[in-house]
Amino acid sequence: MTRSMVLKDCCLYDPVNGVAGEHVDICIRDGRVVEREAGQTEVIDVGGRLVMPGGVDIHSHIMGSKLVHARAMCPEDQRLHTQAMTGTTRSGTGHTLPNSFAIGYRYSVMGYTTVVEPAVPPVRALGCWDEFRDVPNIDSALLAMLSNSTITMHYVEQGDISGLAGYIAWTLRVAGTFGVKVVNPGGVYAWAHGENVTRLDSPVPDWDVTPREILRSMCMAVGELNLPHPLHVHPINLGRVGNVETTIATLDALKGISTRTRGGSAAHLAHMSFECLSSVEGGGTEWRDIASGGTVFARYMNRNRHFTVDLGQVTFGPVTTLTGDGPFEAELFRTVHTKWSNLPVDSELPGGGGVVPLRFSPKSLTHSVQWATPLEFALSIDDIWRCVLTTDSPNGGPFTKYPLVISWLMSRRQREAWLDAVHEKTSRRTALASIDREWSLYDVAVATRAAPAKILGVSKWKGHLGPGADADVAVYDLRPEEVDLAHNPTLVLRALSRTYLTIKGGEVVAREGRAIKSVGGRLWTCHVELDSELAGRVESEMEEEFIPRWYAHAPENYAVPDRYRTGIERAVHREAMDIRP
Amino acid sequence: MGRVICSFCGCLCDDIEVGVQDGRIVSVRNACALGRVRFLEWDRDRLRHPTVLRGGEYVQVPLSEAIDRAAEIVSSARRLLVYGLSSTENDAHREAYRLAELVGGVVDNTSSVCHGPSILAVQQSGIPVVSLAEVRNRADLVIYWGANPVAAHPRHIQRFVRAEGAFVRDRELWVVDVRRSETARVADRFVRVQPGSDLEVLSALRAIVNGHTLDVSSVGGLAMSELSELAERMQSAQYGVIFFGLGLTQTGGRHHNVDAAIRLVQDLNSHARWGLLPMRGHYNVTGANDTSTWQTGYPFAVDFARGYPRYQPGEYSAVDMLVNRECDAVVNVAADPAAHFPREAVRHLGRIPVVNIDPKKNMTSLVASVNIPAAVAGVECDGIAVRMDGLPLYLKKAVDPPPDVLPDREVLAEIYVKVAEELGR
Repeated sequence: MTRSMVLKDCCLYDPVNGVAGEHVDICIRDGRVVEREAGQTEVIDVGGRLVMPGGVDIHSHIMGSKLVHARAMCPEDQRLHTQAMTGTTRSGTGHTLPNSFAIGYRYSVMGYTTVVEPAVPPVRALGCWDEFRDVPNIDSALLAMLSNSTITMHYVEQGDISGLAGYIAWTLRVAGTFGVKVVNPGGVYAWAHGENVTRLDSPVPDWDVTPREILRSMCMAVGELNLPHPLHVHPINLGRVGNVETTIATLDALKGISTRTRGGSAAHLAHMSFECLSSVEGGGTEWRDIASGGTVFARYMNRNRHFTVDLGQVTFGPVTTLTGDGPFEAELFRTVHTKWSNLPVDSELPGGGGVVPLRFSPKSLTHSVQWATPLEFALSIDDIWRCVLTTDSPNGGPFTKYPLVISWLMSRRQREAWLDAVHEKTSRRTALASIDREWSLYDVAVATRAAPAKILGVSKWKGHLGPGADADVAVYDLRPEEVDLAHNPTLVLRALSRTYLTIKGGEVVAREGRAIKSVGGRLWTCHVELDSELAGRVESEMEEEFIPRWYAHAPENYAVPDRYRTGIERAVHREAMDIRP
Repeated sequence: MGRVICSFCGCLCDDIEVGVQDGRIVSVRNACALGRVRFLEWDRDRLRHPTVLRGGEYVQVPLSEAIDRAAEIVSSARRLLVYGLSSTENDAHREAYRLAELVGGVVDNTSSVCHGPSILAVQQSGIPVVSLAEVRNRADLVIYWGANPVAAHPRHIQRFVRAEGAFVRDRELWVVDVRRSETARVADRFVRVQPGSDLEVLSALRAIVNGHTLDVSSVGGLAMSELSELAERMQSAQYGVIFFGLGLTQTGGRHHNVDAAIRLVQDLNSHARWGLLPMRGHYNVTGANDTSTWQTGYPFAVDFARGYPRYQPGEYSAVDMLVNRECDAVVNVAADPAAHFPREAVRHLGRIPVVNIDPKKNMTSLVASVNIPAAVAGVECDGIAVRMDGLPLYLKKAVDPPPDVLPDREVLAEIYVKVAEELGR
């Protein structure tokens, strides 16, 4: 059955197609945007309201065992923000850690339709596939954490990039994952020994490898595999004063590694707010020496084009830090003394990731500088197409704070009001107060739709509304010509928090700030076809050697079975036949 | 069939070879005694037909009639309790939460009577856990505390502790318990604590680890010299792990005991790598906590009376709901509360209508108003279960269920549809 719809009189912001506020009609048929629609069609007149492609979030923790653990560990968070069931929607709870249903509904109410879960131990991917069936109204993709896997160490030590690429392709296929995530390379492995790494050339216990070698090898392997999304990097030294130097050194280490089709991007740096801290002049690495590295890093980014970034914007109030970076969480626990979980996952996360609840307070100088850093950065870069808006939810704050983050970026007036409320010394440690720039709605559409879809490698279908795109549309209750948003930050907040209409795959899933439907989403995966000799070699190494030696279950029980993929999986196919066995 | 997963205990051994002939299981290899029974006697003591209680007698009825009666009980209940779930697969959980939400009832799993206190302790302190593969690969000091795996998880030691480790040569196995259990007999060291003194012993160890001196000569039956020596050995381990059982969670002190163990292990991490893990009993009790958490926000004891989930162990936990006579109907899925609950709770089960969904005859099937047989998950139907360390595994189907016998998830889904119809939703 053909289902079609015309959205009349959209004030459209669609940067991929170069549209900035033109009034157009959008035609939808069978879940896709089409050129024109004739005949029996539902017509919705949106009356000149602001329309954007459905939002794309490239880094938000929405599924998986660590999130499940964090929720169970923090009922005090779950009590907040309850939503009763309705005839078409399930019930919800939770502030920084909403239950699965609430995650889907809250994203769709904000106009988001694609959200990537960036930290999945592949051996537990089955749990994500199961959980995803309860996350309504969004599409997703899982990034596999492989930078501390015992098997990665083996291939890196051997200098066997082909083997590593084969292992990555094997993992993407059997675990149904889409891309590759690096988390504190070598450091999370060292944490199994109670240690961490602090330099790119630090030794990693048990193996003759260094963080630099792990990073470079993985980047080369991902490049050779021609994956849609570049290596997604959470570097070493996260959350340390002065770490902007390490971060720049990390990105320098990846410069020049050839990638085939992604316009030269070798890596995506996740949640830069946590890894672009500087220190005051003459200061050391103590927290009291903290200063923003936002400008320094923006300058580096403006001069180097081989990577992209998401903000991981810090917001104030309760957050839950949860990462695959176990040693970081252990250190944080020793500082804040709240509660701490550490979660190793077989030989893929030997030392383990962790969870520590936290509260960012505007009274704290440290937190205030952490807040200012990504804003200073985002307002100092030349190319917003390489920048994605995130809060690393729930690490920098729940994703429901995106409209607030946008108001900071769009309105100098808003920033001034917040600078008045944060720690008084903040302005001495950051350049934020001196920045006049204000993001436009077009910039916002880039950083929340167009850029993330492009960086993710799904821009054919997501992040724009040209013919052939998925019919994921956000209509906001705002007529851009009638208001000066920079002078009305409250209006930005109100309008972007609750859509007038959210359409996912051609179906209206949210209306006037309420989810009205529960539609099952799709999970993107990536299948890479390899030379059969390489595929065969890696398969037998995995199944006959590595899994029996390092895991505690059978290789036959590793893969996510078709039963859980059918009707959900949306595979992107790649060829990398020329990687030598 | 090879590499079948054993759906008995929280170890979820996945190397079981099952011989099937003419739709029957005829042989089992690699399983422990408990696992062999799970497979070889899968068809014993079955509930063969749906039955309803009429005039004091169980009458055999067609499945549709049993579903109708179950739906009638559920939709006319003012306060429904859905209970069990730990011995069935994740999809069945999903249907159970949906049903509880629909009628504003309460849903609880068996962890409220096993490791519920561990969860409360985790909510207070967090928990540095371990994964079983990493224990096998790295642990050089393994302690079972208040747990007796030789009896309850027979292959735990063989698969994860006494097996060859990739990055460890020598490994010591200790048992801390109030009696010399079967596990203590195979351990390298047995530490006997006085009954009821785990909290004191754990706290004393933690004090010593943190450099405090205690002005006593013994704690919980252990001399200070022995405690100091234990603490020193624990600090000098490379990778230590405490597996704890109901000896900590269901004795005096309950969640305080577990909390003390967690805090000890958190502090030990300043000296060496340490983790702990509860020895989960039912094969998918970990999965029940997980599914409950991602779907309702809470791991057990969830109430939907207000249309959204609320959590209150001690109030919405099954035993308390029954003892307080708060529920007026029960849907029991894959558990046997009539056999395991305190007498007062069981007495209330006898007073109210109970819908019992289980593959086998059990004590609850003798007090239920409706019995609906179900397929044995992991033998007669597939699904996901979660190992005690959080690893999700896909349960295979080895043989067909008896005619007209459905998986739990389908029975619950049919009840849901009927109830929704009756309530006009």
